[in-house]
Amino acid sequence: MSAGRSIDKTLAALADPHRRRAVELLGQRPRRAGELADALGLPAPAMSRHLRTLKQSGLVEESHPEFDARVRIYTLKEGAMADLKKWLADTERLWADQLSSFKTHVEKKRK
Amino acid sequence: MSAVVVSLRVKATPQEAFDVFTQEIAAWWRPSGLFQLTPRGDGELRFEPGETGRLVTTLPNGKDFEIGRVTIWAPGERLAFTWRQATFTPDQVTHVDVRFEALEQQTRVTVEHRGWDAIPEDHAARHGFPLAATQMRLAEHWRALLAALNETLGA
Repeated sequence: MSAGRSIDKTLAALADPHRRRAVELLGQRPRRAGELADALGLPAPAMSRHLRTLKQSGLVEESHPEFDARVRIYTLKEGAMADLKKWLADTERLWADQLSSFKTHVEKKRK
Repeated sequence: MSAVVVSLRVKATPQEAFDVFTQEIAAWWRPSGLFQLTPRGDGELRFEPGETGRLVTTLPNGKDFEIGRVTIWAPGERLAFTWRQATFTPDQVTHVDVRFEALEQQTRVTVEHRGWDAIPEDHAARHGFPLAATQMRLAEHWRALLAALNETLGA
């Protein structure tokens, strides 16, 4: 997947405040779906839908603890935000460079 | 919301800074190793002035590529335009906002580049840009979220 598509998917997944909150909570540690539903005050089916969207966007992954296959644990995927963070970092670098070049150009003119 | 803000001071009046920024972009723009505006390089940039103006670059093969359209043209104060790199999908339009503020004998130039989750809707409607699937208005929340994730992911 190209970085652009990946950023789009990330942003689309995070367009919903419940999903953003879920990502924040998973950023602290892995959690069960029930835990997330309680923390967000959502009914289980709604939470499942949000988690499905987050899984499809590649932000979150699902696993089962060895002792119980019925329990699903959700984890924030390593590097899930990498493309978006890279875009932000690159864009910041770009404008920092362009503005410093602009400054040099303007001030040379005025001498 | 994904947004980048970069700012510095220049020894010039806001009007001079605005004029040089818009009239001499070909002279001060530096092709960046980070990303090219088009696969054929950045070309030679120019602003077509005014509220209906554009930011265009002429490529080595003589073709023009429209980087974006001017949305605000306030000489000596503010300049805003849309920003598309050639690699963007049609619905990926980002937005650049440049402010020129007098500060003692100098001018503070601030560039804010907002991601494609944050195109102003009225502007999108006026120019008929298809919007990306995302419309978020929560810059603060976003910054906090990204900062938290940065720590979490150990970036």
